[in-house]
Amino acid sequence: MISFRIDGHSVVPPYLQIVQQVRQALRMGVLDVGDQLPTVREVVSATAINPNTVLKAYRDLEREGLIEARAGHGTFVRRLPPGPPPGTHARLGRGLAQWVREARDAGLDDESIESLLRVTLRAAAEEEIA
Amino acid sequence: MIPMHEVPGNAVPGPAAIETTELTKRYGKVTALSNCTVSVPEGRICALIGPNGAGKTTLLRLLAGLSRPTAGQVTVNGTTPRQDPAFLADIGYLAQEIPLYRRLSAEDHVRAGAHLNPRWDAESVRERLTALKIPLDRAVGKLSGGQRAQVALALILAKRPRLLLLDEPVAALDPLARRNFLGLLADGVAAGGLTVVLSSHLVADLERVCDHLIMLASSRVQLCGDIEDLLAEHQLLIGPSKDTTAIERSQRVVQVTRTPRQTTLLVRLNGPVADPAFQASDVSLEELVLAYMGQQSMGQDALPALTHLSTVGEEK
Amino acid sequence: MTWLVWRQHRVQVYLGAALLAAFAILIVITGMQVGNQYHAAQAACAAGHGCRQLGGLFLGSHAVGFLIISTLGAPALVGLFVGAPMVAAEAEAGTTQFAWMQSVTRKRWLTVKIGWMLLAAAIWGGVISALVTWWEGPNNAVQLDAFDPGRFDIMGVVPVAYSLFAVALGIAAGALLRRVLPAIAVTLAGFIAVRASVAVWLRPHYLSAVTVFYKVTAGFTPPGSYWQIAQGVLGPNGQQLAQPNSTNYVDGVSASYLPASCTQVSRGAFTPPPSCTGALSHFQAFLTYQPADRYWTFQGIESGIFLVLAAALIAVTAVTLLRRDA
Repeated sequence: MISFRIDGHSVVPPYLQIVQQVRQALRMGVLDVGDQLPTVREVVSATAINPNTVLKAYRDLEREGLIEARAGHGTFVRRLPPGPPPGTHARLGRGLAQWVREARDAGLDDESIESLLRVTLRAAAEEEIA
Repeated sequence: MIPMHEVPGNAVPGPAAIETTELTKRYGKVTALSNCTVSVPEGRICALIGPNGAGKTTLLRLLAGLSRPTAGQVTVNGTTPRQDPAFLADIGYLAQEIPLYRRLSAEDHVRAGAHLNPRWDAESVRERLTALKIPLDRAVGKLSGGQRAQVALALILAKRPRLLLLDEPVAALDPLARRNFLGLLADGVAAGGLTVVLSSHLVADLERVCDHLIMLASSRVQLCGDIEDLLAEHQLLIGPSKDTTAIERSQRVVQVTRTPRQTTLLVRLNGPVADPAFQASDVSLEELVLAYMGQQSMGQDALPALTHLSTVGEEK
Repeated sequence: MTWLVWRQHRVQVYLGAALLAAFAILIVITGMQVGNQYHAAQAACAAGHGCRQLGGLFLGSHAVGFLIISTLGAPALVGLFVGAPMVAAEAEAGTTQFAWMQSVTRKRWLTVKIGWMLLAAAIWGGVISALVTWWEGPNNAVQLDAFDPGRFDIMGVVPVAYSLFAVALGIAAGALLRRVLPAIAVTLAGFIAVRASVAVWLRPHYLSAVTVFYKVTAGFTPPGSYWQIAQGVLGPNGQQLAQPNSTNYVDGVSASYLPASCTQVSRGAFTPPPSCTGALSHFQAFLTYQPADRYWTFQGIESGIFLVLAAALIAVTAVTLLRRDA
């Protein structure tokens, strides 16, 4: 069962944080088709956020077709988001962790790593257009 | 499909747990609350915010039936607050001073509650206090401030009311205890049949758990409505320091901050902003609250322009 | 609600019961001794000199007698320590906010609390009065002073009415002032003022007193425990004479009003000689009193007054608490 972490100070509104964390869990393979999501009450007890926030997030995910509510039983994962299979994310994540270790050893701080990533992403995007 | 009435934001407003019309309370020459018109739908967790002396406690006491209005109407759970066991059973009011019998123990209070209330969940109090490691058999006066607050909160939840009116309930609690209690409230609302109004100074806490807001300042209502709607209706405009009269005329300006280089306006939108020199960004709840509270320093003339903003969202 | 009242006042109840028990034990033990003393004195006087000299005899120890007299203040105690704090202590501590936010109405809260306080006051006043009345039985029979001020107040049914009044006064003071110490002070002052006023100014007039004129030589004593209101001697012209301020008087008439033959001959003799009788026949004495058979009527009237006052005070309390903001 997934547990949510809501950052009150983030610019991302809480309901969107939940949506993103569910999607991420599906990509990483933490959640699979048929798994049950925590009930609104469980989320609310754990995170002290408003129940309507959770309801909104679940409704958005339901509209996307990722989850479905079965009356009397709970909310379950219906399908995975489009994209590479969960294994890919996990594999790439491990590779990235290795690279981060290398960068840190080389003396880069988090800010430098983030800006390097952004620059690289932009360059790659321009390459695709070209 | 998730039922329609559980969808937030643009939901059809349900029956109101609280409705007041031009509610006024005077003590002799002092006006504690003036022409207060608010509405809180059922199932909301409503934040009651305002500086000290703004009338928060007065409003809560009027809602609980502990005071009677000097003028205006107040409706709670569908009726005027009254001395009636059925009405009293459906509301829970916790005063800031945490009234408990100092010489009696928590267990005594639980037993008293069992005798005095038709619905009483004694076990929930015992379980909760035991989990918090608060002794049930010690005189309440000998507990710390935080522990006393926990006892009072547990007792009020045990009453299983439909409406909770809490006056600074978490002031005495440490951050973890606060989070825990607010989680409990949110869970109660999620379970259904509960509306909460809580006054507090800590905007960060409230932002997380509240979806409705009533803001009081100078004994008047400054804002009342669903937080999401209120935030959507306000914007922060940042631009160069220049003549802003055009904007000020077309939008309702809540607060202006001028520096030599830059002017910042917090406005309540009255249509799209025409001036391209100004960059618009979202407002946070804290910024919104501070801006409206800052109105007090602008003087009385500023207030009449804002009082007609007192009901939002519920009239759609 | 009753459970809560009990739990809040448990200690007070235990204390009060202990005090009553201690008092009862003392009174019963010494009272039996008093009874024995009395029977012995009766037997002695029947056998010997005649029972007139029993008048003025005090039976029982003076220490206990003093305690008995001090029960004059007993009704006030229940007003000060039970009545005054009832609302005031809760108002001071803010605990009324707790009670009034449970599902009991303020009316019910007040009714149950006041009901139990009144019952406690009645028991307190009644038990003490019963014990005192029983203990003083022999003394009353001997001294015939049960109707006198100070004695009337500590026996019979009036102590119950005083206690109910005291507790109602305490509760009202507490409800109006909302602070314990001022409420206690006001209750004490009020209790003393009302009790004294009623006893001194109202009680002599519940029923018109009886005035009897009689010859100074004849003498007149009403039967039983009458209450003497006034007494004096009238001269030949009908005006009241001043009380004799020396021992030189005959049958209550000062020697200065009488011929020399009266005073000279009367010294050392029990009855004045015939020469004097003529002079004395011009003088009349009067006695204004309440007859002994009015004792219970007076007890009833005075109790009634204090019960009405108590009811009025409870009404004031109810209006104060139920109409005002909490």
